[in-house]
Amino acid sequence: MTYKTRLGLRGLLAAGAIAVTAAMPIKAQAETTYNLALLSDFSGPYADIMPVLAGGREAVFTWWNATRGKELGVTLNFKNYETRYDAAQVASLWPGIKSELNPIAVVGLGGPDVAALSERLPEDKIPMFMATAGYGFAWKADAWIFNPRPTYSHESAGFLAWMKEQRGGDEPLKFAVMASEASPAYVDMAKGLELHAEENPEELELVEVIYTEVQPTDLTAQMRRVARSGAEALIIQTNTSIVVAAKRGLQANGADIPIMMSSHNGLPASGGALGGLEQLEGDYEAYGMAIAAEEDTTARQFYETLAADHGLEAPWNVVTAMGVSQGLYTVTVIQHAIEKNGAEGLTGELVREALFAAPITTEETFGFLPTLSFTPEAPFPLEGLKVNVGTVKDGKIVIEATGVDVPNIHKW
Amino acid sequence: MVYFINDIITGALIGLLYSLVAMGFVVIYRASKVFNFAQGELVIIGGFIVWYTTMQVGLSLWLSIPLSLVLAGLVGYLIERIFLTKLIGESVFSMVMVTVGLLILLRGLVLLLFGPAVRPFPIIFPLKPLFLGDMLIPMNLLIGGIITIVAAIGLSWFFNRTRSGLRMTAVAEDHVVASSMGISVKGSIAFAWVLGAILSTIGAMIFLSGKSLTFLASDIGFAALPVALFAGLESIGGLILAGVIIGIVQSLTTNYLDPLIGGSLGSVVPYIIMLAILLIRPTGLFGWRTIERV
Repeated sequence: MTYKTRLGLRGLLAAGAIAVTAAMPIKAQAETTYNLALLSDFSGPYADIMPVLAGGREAVFTWWNATRGKELGVTLNFKNYETRYDAAQVASLWPGIKSELNPIAVVGLGGPDVAALSERLPEDKIPMFMATAGYGFAWKADAWIFNPRPTYSHESAGFLAWMKEQRGGDEPLKFAVMASEASPAYVDMAKGLELHAEENPEELELVEVIYTEVQPTDLTAQMRRVARSGAEALIIQTNTSIVVAAKRGLQANGADIPIMMSSHNGLPASGGALGGLEQLEGDYEAYGMAIAAEEDTTARQFYETLAADHGLEAPWNVVTAMGVSQGLYTVTVIQHAIEKNGAEGLTGELVREALFAAPITTEETFGFLPTLSFTPEAPFPLEGLKVNVGTVKDGKIVIEATGVDVPNIHKW
Repeated sequence: MVYFINDIITGALIGLLYSLVAMGFVVIYRASKVFNFAQGELVIIGGFIVWYTTMQVGLSLWLSIPLSLVLAGLVGYLIERIFLTKLIGESVFSMVMVTVGLLILLRGLVLLLFGPAVRPFPIIFPLKPLFLGDMLIPMNLLIGGIITIVAAIGLSWFFNRTRSGLRMTAVAEDHVVASSMGISVKGSIAFAWVLGAILSTIGAMIFLSGKSLTFLASDIGFAALPVALFAGLESIGGLILAGVIIGIVQSLTTNYLDPLIGGSLGSVVPYIIMLAILLIRPTGLFGWRTIERV
């Protein structure tokens, strides 16, 4: 082969390569990177669940980058910031996060993030996606902070309605609530239910709201009052230590009142702190998210994929499910925004617009969440609200009910 | 009426638990004039030692409890030797600031060594309460109350009637003067820290028996703070009265006022009492009034 021939062949190959590249879909050409700021609490009150929750959401981002993001030509970078679940810490970190990352979205953790950033994010035009249920105090129009689940009060109201249906009869269901002024979110959980019970006296009778410390000294006397009032359920959506103290108080009184927990203080966490799941036989956890139970579900299969192929080490439990749910609806909204606006020039504002533009279907979140239809009226979906109920049977967590309708609750 | 009396009794017993934790404050203060801000952290260190020896090592309670008290005493001794002994003769303010640093250090150390998980604490006292007719008294608090009163009597006698106790009081007055009189300042302060750590471990056992253990349990140190300041930082006997008063007021507020106002006034009221008493009598109910000649 002569020099000229070789040169010609090289030129032909180069031209071919250029032609092939040009013919490839545009989305596969560019590799655009966007940043996500992850607010975390590895050393504060939720330090016990944070590694698991963080593992869930980070595995989803890794999975999305390797699959859907690759197809779209987008990579999501993410970085954790330690907030210690402290609003002051979040507020002081925020300017640095913004200048360092210029994130298109924040992945938040809880109430202190909401308290610290609710005024800042609309100015900075960056949306924040939470993992938890919503809060009554943040129930405002034109939000920039979003929850995939309605308020804790919505979720407990859904559970109580289901429980009344299971019990049957016309008598209102008697229930008590444990709260704590250690966090505005804990107070909010009780306030919403108080109003709901007040407005629905034929359905519910709130016998008492007990305020206590996050690590109570003793709740025996309080539990005696609850037992004597004829309460049929005890709602504890605060933390694990309060569940443990309340359970011990009920056991001391020989009372068998079922406790309903939420996702962050659910059956595995509280059971572990009590010395075993069997201690919570017949108690419940209820929330608007998949129950991490023994059954083989679509959500569980997706978890197995993350564990097998994307480095997820966290066990299959409610906290992992919460992290995965948060990651999934965050990447789905970002994906909707990319599909609508293209991979280039994505901003926080466009991500927020995409949230309102199309529902996030339950298929897109692999059944971890129900179909979510956000509107500018609230930071969480207001219609089609559902909760799932899990319980402990024979020492194992099982799904007791799925798709339980949440009653309409007025703002408080 | 029965419930009202029951609430008073339970409140008084919870107050006695605060007194026991506050005793750690007072013992260290009486020997060194140092207010130990890390008292709550000593409670969780003690709690974790009990948890470790019982739940991890698997020792029976009869073995793990005395061993835990010895280990807690050792921790108190090491803290004093490593962080405070070099400050003897320096201003009290420096030593107090060291205890603030200790608070952060010990909290971090607990997280580092044991992790953040919420753990089941062993059942040391019977879970079944004592029933007196319609009244119900939690056993851990009842036994804890008795221990507190016995400890207060013993420590009062020690500080007021024994040479060692009086030496510790002299050390608190002035390190240099005490040293010039042949009193071992280092030994006295080290002993106070050993005692403080042991009292905190007993407090942890009463507080956490059958419940859960996290570093959040250190908040009891702050709950005990009003009791220590209300009683006066030098009075061990006064802690009993102060604890009972604060416990009863807190219990009645929690059970009767909080449901009416829909809030947690019960957790605030001890601090209101503390501030009120500090305004009226800055040395607390039974604190020493110091007369200084200039």
